[in-house]
Amino acid sequence: MATLYYLILAPMVYLAVAVSVLGTLWRIARLLRAPAAPPPPPIYPSRKPSWLFALGDALLLPSVFKHNAPLWAALGLFHLGLAALFLGHLELVADFKALQLIPHSIFLGKGLIGLTVLVCLMYFLCRRMVSPTKELSVPEDYLLLVLLLFTVLFGAQMDWARTWFGYSSMGVDEYRGYLSSLIRLKPSVEGVTSAGHSFMLVAHVFFANLLIMAFPFTKLMHAIFTFAMNKFRRG
Amino acid sequence: MEAQLHDSLVTLFESKLSTQMLLNLETCSRCGICTPACHAYASMPLAKYAPAYRAEVVRRIYKRYFTKQGRFMPVLGEAKDITDAALVELKEAAYSCTGCRRCMVYCPFGIDTQQIMSIAKLLLIGAQAEPETLSMLADMSVSKGENIDALKEGFLSGIKRLEDQVVEKWRSQGEHPIPTDVVGADVLYVALAGAHSIIPAAAVFNAAGEKWSLSFFEAVNFGAFVGDPTKTRLILDRIVNEAKRLKVKEVCICECGTAVRVAKQLKDAPFAVVGLTEMHARYLRQGRIKLRKLPGSYTYHDPCQIARNGGVYDEPRYILRHLVEDFREMSPDPKYNWCCGGGGGLVAMGEETLEFRMQSAKVKAEQMRGSKAEVVVTACENCHTQLSDLNRHYALGQRVVFLSSLVADALIP
Repeated sequence: MATLYYLILAPMVYLAVAVSVLGTLWRIARLLRAPAAPPPPPIYPSRKPSWLFALGDALLLPSVFKHNAPLWAALGLFHLGLAALFLGHLELVADFKALQLIPHSIFLGKGLIGLTVLVCLMYFLCRRMVSPTKELSVPEDYLLLVLLLFTVLFGAQMDWARTWFGYSSMGVDEYRGYLSSLIRLKPSVEGVTSAGHSFMLVAHVFFANLLIMAFPFTKLMHAIFTFAMNKFRRG
Repeated sequence: MEAQLHDSLVTLFESKLSTQMLLNLETCSRCGICTPACHAYASMPLAKYAPAYRAEVVRRIYKRYFTKQGRFMPVLGEAKDITDAALVELKEAAYSCTGCRRCMVYCPFGIDTQQIMSIAKLLLIGAQAEPETLSMLADMSVSKGENIDALKEGFLSGIKRLEDQVVEKWRSQGEHPIPTDVVGADVLYVALAGAHSIIPAAAVFNAAGEKWSLSFFEAVNFGAFVGDPTKTRLILDRIVNEAKRLKVKEVCICECGTAVRVAKQLKDAPFAVVGLTEMHARYLRQGRIKLRKLPGSYTYHDPCQIARNGGVYDEPRYILRHLVEDFREMSPDPKYNWCCGGGGGLVAMGEETLEFRMQSAKVKAEQMRGSKAEVVVTACENCHTQLSDLNRHYALGQRVVFLSSLVADALIP
């Protein structure tokens, strides 16, 4: 078990990051190398500056708000939640003064943000099981949602699991030690593999690794392509 | 399917993979926001009419041949081989889409389903499975460009027969009510094959004192309908060459949405391209024509290729404000106006598509009825035919007219 934990927490993380970075760069390079074609007309009425409106379209999803407000709310909470979780992970790497403008303990929300993201993911999953989205969906759509769901479930509820089992060991300091060792390329997993709820961290990292590796080869790339697409529409 | 045909179709697919096309193919999250945007889905709620589903028919083939996921884990994205069955699916997807791009307004990424459908159309051409009618019409247009000298005489005598009807609408000072082949004309007018596209436009040009010339060629581009880039270019080149020969300043395209859109995409041409509606609005603004007010209640159908895809929203409304007292908007926001259901070559395919056109445009018929206007005005040949068919099929009791005809009928000295 210790070997398995190590493989997931150290080599697999490096592999995931390498696959993700190289894969994403390859996808972007492929786009840039593709021949240019005369662009079809934009959608009118056009508004200027088009890049600003395209940015607004990409970040605020006004068309989703107009045509499906509940989905817009869920998408908003989900993406904001992901951003907050990302910032939370940054705080595990080092102290960022900018992130502590409003002083808070790490993680902010104590699992509530993760819970919100989880509820959104359940909504997305249920939505996929109902017509007409059901007919549009392919296995990739479900797989990514399930991967996200498990990643968030095990990650966000670690704090809760800690209280539940009454463990006092393995908290923020241990997470920081582990992450710092990964960044220094001297992985040390001892501090995070001996606690009762270590399986939560290992499961969280395992599913996150899969998700990170899947990123460049799935529709998750919409996160990178959305601005360019919206710019084409705006002209 | 034979291996040689299969390979040539893969090569054909690859030829369409520009940067923008790759983005269109790789960005969809299948959220389904676009689903209610399509008039066909809104009229007949079947998943196959959802824009994302149509695009997925093409995307599954794309994944199979051009993505790592499709090669190594095809089941994840339901990647598909090009087979005879796939061609049947491609045909249904491509020819149930009118290319109105209403779904593009809904999509959070702005995915252009029409562009994706252009791949489907090209593959059908490659497999010789495209609609024969459209292909034949495109070939005839190309052939006309190659044999214009032989056809000129017949064309000119036909035009001569229309002159009296032009004079009836507006007695002009010039020698020829319908001038042709005028070197140095300011405007080359490209009409459709039909008196209705020539007589009213000629009367308005003459009333405005325009120095114009009628093109020998018809504006409609069947190459674009069938999705053949080579024929689209050849058909357009006939007009470009004529405009260059006559040294005109502007090429004015008749009320044909696709023709206007194709011509406006020309780059570096030594002339400007303008639609007939824009031209009439300009004459009104400059005081070159005057109109009397017409009785009755009117609504305006924005042709998708002219409005949503061409930006011409204000001009028809400006003209109608000068033409009628009682104007009623068809849609609260013209950007969201329903497509008539006849674009993308469907009307040109005639009876073959009539049943589908009537069923898939039920929402359009309801919109027309909802306007409570006596007259439905439009500025596109396809839209006019389709709206007239809807008017009959759903017994709407309205009159469908071209905007240019109204302008010509309302001319006053």
